[in-house]
Amino acid sequence: MDQTSASFIDIRSVAKVYQSDTGEDVPALSSVSLKIKQGEFVSLLGPSGCGKTTLMMIVAGLSAASKGEVQIEGKKIVDPYTDIGIVFQNAELLEWRTALQNILLQMEIRKLDINTYIPIAKQLLSQVGLSGFEDRYPDELSGGMKQRVALCRALVHDPDILLMDEPFGALDAMTRDQMNIDLQRIWLEKRKTAILVTHSIDEAVFLSDRVVVMTGRPASVAEDIKIDLPRPRKLGIRDSSEFNAYTGHIREMFKDLGVFTND
Amino acid sequence: MQTEVKKKPPAKSSVRWLVPVLSILALLLLWEGVVRLLNIPIYMLPPPSKVAHVAVAESPLLFRHALSTIWAILLGFGLAVVIGIPIATLMIYSDAFNRAIYPILITAQVLPKVALAPLFIVWFGFGLIPKVLMTFLIAFFPIVVDTLAGLSAVRPESLMLLRSMGGSRWQSFWKVRLPTALPHIFSGLKIGMTFAVVGAIVAEFVASEAGLGYVLVEARASLNMVLVFAAIIWLIAIGFIFYFAVEYAERIFVKGRSTKRSQELGAGL
Repeated sequence: MDQTSASFIDIRSVAKVYQSDTGEDVPALSSVSLKIKQGEFVSLLGPSGCGKTTLMMIVAGLSAASKGEVQIEGKKIVDPYTDIGIVFQNAELLEWRTALQNILLQMEIRKLDINTYIPIAKQLLSQVGLSGFEDRYPDELSGGMKQRVALCRALVHDPDILLMDEPFGALDAMTRDQMNIDLQRIWLEKRKTAILVTHSIDEAVFLSDRVVVMTGRPASVAEDIKIDLPRPRKLGIRDSSEFNAYTGHIREMFKDLGVFTND
Repeated sequence: MQTEVKKKPPAKSSVRWLVPVLSILALLLLWEGVVRLLNIPIYMLPPPSKVAHVAVAESPLLFRHALSTIWAILLGFGLAVVIGIPIATLMIYSDAFNRAIYPILITAQVLPKVALAPLFIVWFGFGLIPKVLMTFLIAFFPIVVDTLAGLSAVRPESLMLLRSMGGSRWQSFWKVRLPTALPHIFSGLKIGMTFAVVGAIVAEFVASEAGLGYVLVEARASLNMVLVFAAIIWLIAIGFIFYFAVEYAERIFVKGRSTKRSQELGAGL
């Protein structure tokens, strides 16, 4: 089954140390190793501010590792990796551009033919339930709508890798559930290699093939859990005993790691 | 079709215009009334009716001098924009340049520029140059400061996004930094523009033989207060035209950012 045999993203003993203003070393990541296969959906799960985002930025080549290295398809990452789509916690839409123009920013920066991509962008928008909103400015969209546009922008150029940094963290629980359903559907269609940074245990288990549980700062991998639940998963799966076995196990782990106290 | 997300309330333009027009009319009536009732002599405070009459009757003279003032404003303000925005941009991108220029900038600002006017006469005589220079010096600072604030307002995530797209420095400036800065730049331009008018007049007070500022000084010397006020009316008109020209440009260039929503949802807070 494992046709690509070698791992697609290979994170090799990556560590990151920041310098504080007073010149002290602040460790953020301590030697993280992780292999991710092509088309796999992996969640980095851990408490807020534990260094998950740092790890994601190093994978994207937007931040340099203090030790270790990241290889994608066997090549060491030194510059920003561009065959990639990123979704941040805030949608980061440019407010002077309409939804469609925000998506087409990808084409402008990459110097691709915009006219070729207009139908693709419009199709993506309709896939996330936003057809008819092409010419709306971000100011006229709700938080969930903005994040959908950001997801379209991350996918329009058909990248190999989709990185998401707590993309639904700022949304209410109901919108978040809907976004999880939509994201799973789109991912099943396109089968991108996806890394999701989240601090929601339910979200991680619901969406992922693997959940990488991380310890608090400086972060390292506490456990790498394979999620063996059939797809497409429906929201109701969260009430199943299999699902709760995973989430219960992870909650216990976080308790052992000292994330939850007095429970 | 999708349902509408937010509907903008219809603008009641007739009422919107009526309020400021009425308030100005009321002020003028009050002025006229006070002058007539208290019998204030015309060399102290002329009534607005007289001022309006002279502002029109003397329009050939006032127009000739206004042109001179307008030139000084346009050139000085233009220079402040053409030099100020690139300097702010360089300050953002080069730390060394920033540190080199910053003390000079602050010194130039805390220095009362009017004090330089007598020097300008010595150096440049009584022509257009000292006026343009003074206007430039006064309009320059708000433009640089607001451009700096605007260019720094860019979100780091936006820049990361551009890097992940393989964007160049030039692209990130042109597509993200500059548009992000535009609302700030325009508030700097608006302040700079009103300052520019002040700069031109101050220079004309001291170092000129033409312009509305010169007319003011000469008219006052001969106690021709009606002409003083007429010149002021012309200056107000010039200030208005330039200010709204900048605001019009802002409306064209700054898109998608309405303050309407915060006004609407803030309900007057």
